[in-house]
Amino acid sequence: MITIYGHEFKSNWKSLLIWAVCVGGMGLACILLFSSVQESMAGMAENFASMGAFSDAFGMRQLSIATLTGFYATEVGTIHGLGGGMFAAILGTGMLSKEEDGHTSEFLFSLPIARSKVIWAKWWAVVTLILLFNLLCMGLYVLGFFSLGEHIPVKEFLLYHGMQVFMQIEIGAICYALSAWMKKNQLGLGLGMVLLLYGYDLMTRVIPDLADYKVISPFSYANAADVFSSGTVAGTATVIGAVVLVVSIWLAHVVYGRRDLAA
Amino acid sequence: MKQVIEINHLTKHYGTHRGVEDVSFCVKEGSIFGFLGPNGAGKSTTIRAMLGLLRFEQGRIQLFGKDIQKDKEAILREVGYMPSEAMFYPSMRVKEVVQLVADVRKKDCREEAAKLCDRLQIDPEKKIRELSLGNRKKVGIVCAMQHRPKLFVFDEPTSGLDPLIQREFFALIREYVAEGTTCLLSTHVLSEVKNHCEKVAIMKEGKLQCVDTVAHMTKTSAKRIRMVRDGKQEDFLFKGDLNDLAKELVGHEITDILIEDPSLDEIFLHFYQ
Repeated sequence: MITIYGHEFKSNWKSLLIWAVCVGGMGLACILLFSSVQESMAGMAENFASMGAFSDAFGMRQLSIATLTGFYATEVGTIHGLGGGMFAAILGTGMLSKEEDGHTSEFLFSLPIARSKVIWAKWWAVVTLILLFNLLCMGLYVLGFFSLGEHIPVKEFLLYHGMQVFMQIEIGAICYALSAWMKKNQLGLGLGMVLLLYGYDLMTRVIPDLADYKVISPFSYANAADVFSSGTVAGTATVIGAVVLVVSIWLAHVVYGRRDLAA
Repeated sequence: MKQVIEINHLTKHYGTHRGVEDVSFCVKEGSIFGFLGPNGAGKSTTIRAMLGLLRFEQGRIQLFGKDIQKDKEAILREVGYMPSEAMFYPSMRVKEVVQLVADVRKKDCREEAAKLCDRLQIDPEKKIRELSLGNRKKVGIVCAMQHRPKLFVFDEPTSGLDPLIQREFFALIREYVAEGTTCLLSTHVLSEVKNHCEKVAIMKEGKLQCVDTVAHMTKTSAKRIRMVRDGKQEDFLFKGDLNDLAKELVGHEITDILIEDPSLDEIFLHFYQ
């Protein structure tokens, strides 16, 4: 099992570095940009906070973008949430289906290793890569805060990134289950799903009638503005996320474990 | 002698499409067994069911006396399989693929792998994406042989290999078989079966047509008939009682007739058609 885990990790580490440098680098650039836009932000913060539903959607009513924490939660939070979700979707959708897509399933599954062990090894590789992606990004963000000599709200920062890891693992799990069904790598489907869930989360924040249904999207419990303003996470949405995660992994096992594998 | 492969009444359908129906045969230890049939005959389906890659509706498959559906991992430890496509991870080097297989098998195969790479003339430093089909086949052969398994399963192994490497490949098989390894050779190249196999199973349209020794098949009752009947030249393979043929010829003008044993190629093709 450890061999397959190591193989998957090695196969994806370049992609991990590229995504971490791109997403983390963009976040770092945003943080560093803050000192040069801080003055103009002070004037804009009030306007942004009074734009009704738009302000709610992007969390600018709860937090002031004139402070680094507020700026981080609204700007970097969006970049990291979307970037991380996409990275998780890319990992998940390709992890199982790539064997049939690349015609390597006969090679891999004729080796003396149970299919369930392969499924677990690949899943743990997805989880590890997501964890490392977040650690690398967090390192870059912390570097940004230190460069500006700003205080990091440690509790909120860790809570937000913890929820982001959880959200990405949930997205990775949903895509992993899809991957178990597919004979081709459906990257577009995974990325489309992330954008759809993000868009749905925005809509539920803008449209009051949808507020009760916002727990469906994992972006609801991993929203930076919510976490940084309240210092807590939404319990129901997190529990639903955990159930979706477990069911997705179970489905991946059931489907892939019983499927006839194409050559 | 022990049976290494025992397939009993194997039936597999892909939805409404035919896979294989009621296939049964055995392969004894230390032999080279030919598995012959045209494209789409069901050879690969049988092999893939045999290795636990496909689930099947009916029948039982035992390798080394163990049921593939119950002891798949233990069985595959003793099997070296080379799929017909020979596809590997394109970004990896040959040596990394070979090492990955050895690591999954938890065996140190470096010495044997180096010997095989040398005999098959493979550069272990090359990336898989740089290899031709023939060279990928060679990597497949190394992966299947390096752990010295008890059973080889080769699915159309020689397509893409040049004649010299084909000769080396069969020399390697004979060396391992001499040490007790069994080999199932799936192919549609008649000469490979004729030259290297003791026994052969012939598949056609998902059904087993015949299982026999190559030597016995040449002594079949089928005859090649060449004759000139009513002024027309005829040439066909006749299987049955020659008295029936004689009765059929009564009333016709036979100016020339030759009855002979068919070649092995003709016998195989007779089952194909």
